[in-house]
Amino acid sequence: MTSLPLARRRRGRQVLRNTVVGWSFLLPNFVGFAVLTLVPVGLLFYYAFTSWNVFGGAEWTGLENFRQMLHDASFRTALRNTVYYTVFHIPLTLGAALALALLLNQRLRGVAFFRTVAFFPYITSIVALAQVWNMLFSPGYGPINAVLRGIGIDNPPGWTTSADWSMPAVIVVGTWREMGYYMLLFLAGLQTIPGQLYEAAKVDGANAWQRFRAVTLPGLRPTTFFVVVLLTIGSFKVFDVILVMTNGGPGQSTLVLSQYIYQKGFVENQFGYASAVSIALFAICFVITIVQFVINRRGTD
Amino acid sequence: MKRSIAAVLGATAAISLVLTGCSSGDDEGSSSGPQTLTLAGWSFATTPEFKTLADGFHATHPDVTVELKEYDAANYDTQMVADLAAGKAPDIYAQKTLKNFYTYQNGKQLLDVSDVASKLGDKVGGISSYQADGKTWAIPYRQDSWVLYYNKTLFQKAGVSLPDGSWTWDDYATASKELTAKLKAAGSKAVGDYEHIWQSTVQGFALAQTSGATIESGDFSYLKPYYDRALDLQNAGAQVKFGDATTNSLTYQAQFGKQQAAMMVMGSWYIATLLKQQGTGDAEKFEWGFAPAPQQTKATTGTSATPVTFGDPTGLGINPKIGKNKEATAKAFLAYAAGADGAKALAGIGITPADTEAVKDTFFQLPGVPQDDLSKFAFTKHDTKPENPVSKYTAALQNILSDLHTAVMSGSKGVDAAITEAQNRAKTEVLNK
Repeated sequence: MTSLPLARRRRGRQVLRNTVVGWSFLLPNFVGFAVLTLVPVGLLFYYAFTSWNVFGGAEWTGLENFRQMLHDASFRTALRNTVYYTVFHIPLTLGAALALALLLNQRLRGVAFFRTVAFFPYITSIVALAQVWNMLFSPGYGPINAVLRGIGIDNPPGWTTSADWSMPAVIVVGTWREMGYYMLLFLAGLQTIPGQLYEAAKVDGANAWQRFRAVTLPGLRPTTFFVVVLLTIGSFKVFDVILVMTNGGPGQSTLVLSQYIYQKGFVENQFGYASAVSIALFAICFVITIVQFVINRRGTD
Repeated sequence: MKRSIAAVLGATAAISLVLTGCSSGDDEGSSSGPQTLTLAGWSFATTPEFKTLADGFHATHPDVTVELKEYDAANYDTQMVADLAAGKAPDIYAQKTLKNFYTYQNGKQLLDVSDVASKLGDKVGGISSYQADGKTWAIPYRQDSWVLYYNKTLFQKAGVSLPDGSWTWDDYATASKELTAKLKAAGSKAVGDYEHIWQSTVQGFALAQTSGATIESGDFSYLKPYYDRALDLQNAGAQVKFGDATTNSLTYQAQFGKQQAAMMVMGSWYIATLLKQQGTGDAEKFEWGFAPAPQQTKATTGTSATPVTFGDPTGLGINPKIGKNKEATAKAFLAYAAGADGAKALAGIGITPADTEAVKDTFFQLPGVPQDDLSKFAFTKHDTKPENPVSKYTAALQNILSDLHTAVMSGSKGVDAAITEAQNRAKTEVLNK
């Protein structure tokens, strides 16, 4: 008769112990996340409704920052430029990464070497890369324009020194830098596709293109989704490449949202307004990511 | 995305946490007896002035030790703002740029030092830049002014007569083109002048020399003649194109120091740099001098007039959290740094102090400094206007003007269109937002 509560108590203790153990495993990471990410992000939603110059308290201004954002031409420019970058950067990087992955998935001599080469830009310091690329793009003396002149183009673009060509130049560098990383993800994805599927397709008489369409692409679907989500978020928050290559210039031709936030916050000390712009950027990314998830779920059903 | 927000606001929030959490307590200790002041500066390896001032003060006040705290030069203000908000900033901190003075002053991060200012008198240049609400909030210890550097060797090679202090900007442009042509004929690769990529090389002079021009007015038409001239020089090949200078990360030290250009307008800090680089071999050895910056009209040229130029002072301010017992000592340090003794110590290492008249002899005794009368005139006589007049709008307006500069100098936009756009932005984004 006394064994029943005892067993229950024992089970209760077991549950408690498991919970504590579970939490203690989570804790080191969660504390870091909470202190460095969660709390700041939470505070962001407060500061967005205030006027705050770092010193002293923030002054509650209600929707004032958002009203200002509505007719802030620079914010619109930054948003437009960010979308411009994203629209080209995502498909270009996706295509380049997939092509590289397919190429380097072959049984080639020295394939490891070439994989390393493709990954190299991703792990190299962005400041050094920007310096070198800027020299390559130099309108007067750069090798890129020397080649263009060599093949008969009389007025090659000014690249990072021209308002029309600075964004394409930055997109080229952004794509070149990140394709190695996404290639790696695609390579991992390719390993998961069973070889028998290719054999079966071959037996059915499918050529290389048909095998790619019918076997590789569907097999890579989860990877592609993951890559697209990462790329979207990465493109919207692009910052370092632009900061060191053009610093948003010439004029405002490459000003993007993250940089605008940085400028308003850390250069002009308008942390309230910078927070409000951050929320706008957060909302954009959030909505797009949700849409992507919905589309993906529909596709798999 | 989440990471980006964290990156931008992580620091912000951290600051705010510390802000609400704690504030530094007053240091214990009496006003007599040994004291330690802390002084913030940047890049001590290349900026020896802080150590010079600290040592010089210790020599006259043996009881007081000045400890230096080094900050990163590029992020000095960001880090200082964070440290001040967290209550961890040093007792005395330098105002690296005038642009951010408003942030500190308006944020109540500076102690009133009007009593120090009143004792120093009017010989210290730049003091008025640190005045707001009828009080003085920082004391300048150095006041750089922009001058025209010229390479005598290249001028002689080209057979062009040296600057004589009578130049307007049109004379300067004519000379630069003449130099370029004649240097080319003489088989030299050097061009007439080098204009560095900073917006101040154009805008600083335009603002200082045009009567009635202010940044705060939101009317930037005063910039036009200055940009027209700069574009003309660059299109004529008399100076390196802006785009080539930015993409190749050209440094002005190498352009002038390695004799790539015969003239260059630059701040007086470059005197010490050039002397040092000629000693170490980073710059070639050639004869050089400096003249007053070219003027807008003949009215301010010639050695009987006072040339108008620009330059921001560098000042020292006191952290209000310093604690009562150290206040007097910190003020004594400021008075020393801006006074004749500090000025002499600074001049001894080639720095342009706020009081230039007092140190003329010390400065021109440095080995390698040009000895001609025009250089001495340029060093001591000038009406130096601030590049960043103090106002709550300055930082934001300068960002807009920076966009204008890159757009115009790269040839992406016409001067008129760029000025119109900047004026519109100034109006809608800053002045009446």
